[in-house]
Amino acid sequence: MAPTDVKFRKIDVDAYDEDVLLETELYDPDPRDPQQVIEETKARAAAVRSSLSKGDILGALVTILDNPPYGSNAEEAKNLTLQTVVTVLNSTKATDIPNVVRSLPPEAQDTLMKYLYKGMGMPGWGDVSGSVLLGWHEKLTEVAGTGCIVRAMTDRRMA
Amino acid sequence: MSNVLRPYLAAVRSTLTAALTLENFPSQVGGCSSSPSVNSIRVSIKIKQADEIERILCHKFTRFLMQRAESFIVLRRKPIKGYDISFLITNTHTESMLKHKIVDFIIQFMEDVDREISEMKLSLNARARTVAESYLTAVSLGIGYRVVTRLKCILWSYSAFAPA
Amino acid sequence: MILLEPHNYIIQTTLVDKFSKPTTLDVQFVDFDGVRFHLSTLDRKTVLLLSMHIRCWDELVRYGAQDVLRREYGSLVQSQPESDYNISLLIDLEKAPPEGEQRDAFIHSIALMKRNALAAPFELAFKKQKELENSSSGQGDIMAIHYRDEEAIYIQAAHDRVTVIFSTIFREETDRIFGKVFLQEFVDARRLPQIQNAPQVLFTNRDPPLEIRHVPGLRDSEDIGYVTFVLFPPHFSNPHVAAGTVSHIQLFRNYLHYHIKCSKAYMQSRMRHRVSEFQKVLNRAKTEVASTERKTVTGRTLQTR
Repeated sequence: MAPTDVKFRKIDVDAYDEDVLLETELYDPDPRDPQQVIEETKARAAAVRSSLSKGDILGALVTILDNPPYGSNAEEAKNLTLQTVVTVLNSTKATDIPNVVRSLPPEAQDTLMKYLYKGMGMPGWGDVSGSVLLGWHEKLTEVAGTGCIVRAMTDRRMA
Repeated sequence: MSNVLRPYLAAVRSTLTAALTLENFPSQVGGCSSSPSVNSIRVSIKIKQADEIERILCHKFTRFLMQRAESFIVLRRKPIKGYDISFLITNTHTESMLKHKIVDFIIQFMEDVDREISEMKLSLNARARTVAESYLTAVSLGIGYRVVTRLKCILWSYSAFAPA
Repeated sequence: MILLEPHNYIIQTTLVDKFSKPTTLDVQFVDFDGVRFHLSTLDRKTVLLLSMHIRCWDELVRYGAQDVLRREYGSLVQSQPESDYNISLLIDLEKAPPEGEQRDAFIHSIALMKRNALAAPFELAFKKQKELENSSSGQGDIMAIHYRDEEAIYIQAAHDRVTVIFSTIFREETDRIFGKVFLQEFVDARRLPQIQNAPQVLFTNRDPPLEIRHVPGLRDSEDIGYVTFVLFPPHFSNPHVAAGTVSHIQLFRNYLHYHIKCSKAYMQSRMRHRVSEFQKVLNRAKTEVASTERKTVTGRTLQTR
């Protein structure tokens, strides 16, 4: 075969595979309508601002991390969630982080971990600060363990 | 380890540890019947390169390493696009190797590669300075070679080239 | 060794050796820039013929190399050089100066043969500067010495200075970048008080300096660099200082590239060391496999359960 003949590499073999695993088969789709998800996220972002003005970091985090958007058609809502999470993280004193992560329900801890990784993958996006995320990542791992990272990595309902 | 790098490497360490525990375990999450199993983990690293010198040193160093990929079984011969070096840890590696030691290796690599490049750059600058000063001193004084050579050899020995 | 010495080490040591114990001899060797030497005995063991071939000989002759060599070596210079060489010196060991300082100086001067041939255009430029000094303007012709395939030295006298320009090729990107680091230090070093009297050094990548921009056939590529030395009368008005200046300056290109090579070798040795350290760390990850069969005193094989 001529070395230039490498077109076969570009063939989408999945298209010919009956057993191919589609993302939609990995998890049940979000039952909510995308527009509804965005509205909900916006409402929660407002609630977070109100919690933050009262200095209620834990309340703000629980609010934004509960029932988060997922699926491929929720990018806008996910980004808004990340932006809101980052705002909360940036407003927290370093010494308060351990108590906050300890008080979070397990589901929220896993969701926070997902958003920490999402933020680390977008350095310089919005108000994302690498050192703030790393500080939270360290404390959250201390409290929730490696299992929390494993769950965040393997859950296909990605942030 | 520098304090700037510490939290970063801590995060890399816990992430790698988590990723390696996944290997050979069918994915339990997602509630899906056909569970894909994780059989390899790729770690790609982009090394800090502040200027042309660091860029060439980084390039030389990673190329030097990758030419010896066969003795570093987890190292790839070519990095993933956009990165300087890639490691691929497959389940055969984790059967014959201790996972936490593989993590140790990658962390140590990340720590050392940074320091090594900075030190190589410093030594290049130091050598260049000595070389330039020796030469210009000799020319400006119009003095013989031997005197200057002796003076500078005291200042800076070329022990790095001495046979081991 | 940091500075390169201007004399040829093989000529020096061979002559010292032959003075103490004359034997039949026939050796060929090379110096920097592809300069070839042939040192051999003729009909008697005490009569040696030293011949040199230098690729830019015709240019050097144009700038007075014959006169300089005749001044240095007098009657030793043969009217007809050995075939395939540009110049030959006939050295009769029995007619040489007596043992001691005089003989050492004699041997050293012969070992400087290449240096002396290449000194001619420099000496000519120094002379020209003296001539122009009183007119307080004007400049001499550019003397080009193509001493390597793709690299040259350009020398030009003016009423107040002599400019020496080296063109040099950096074959690899590493050489180019390392070369830049070195040359920047040459530029910066002059800020030191003890070096303020050194010649001014300038360097450019790719773009030739103004003085030689009109010279035809200059290469236009990223891998070429130009280093300019500006010599002022204090660097050459005293003959002793002038001799030192010529010896140092003509070796500049070799000096620069020698140190670039040293740096690369040093990096290589560092990388080798670091890689072997990495190897050790990775080896620690390998699970122990007992490769030797262990037996009990009675000869039964130990089994791991």
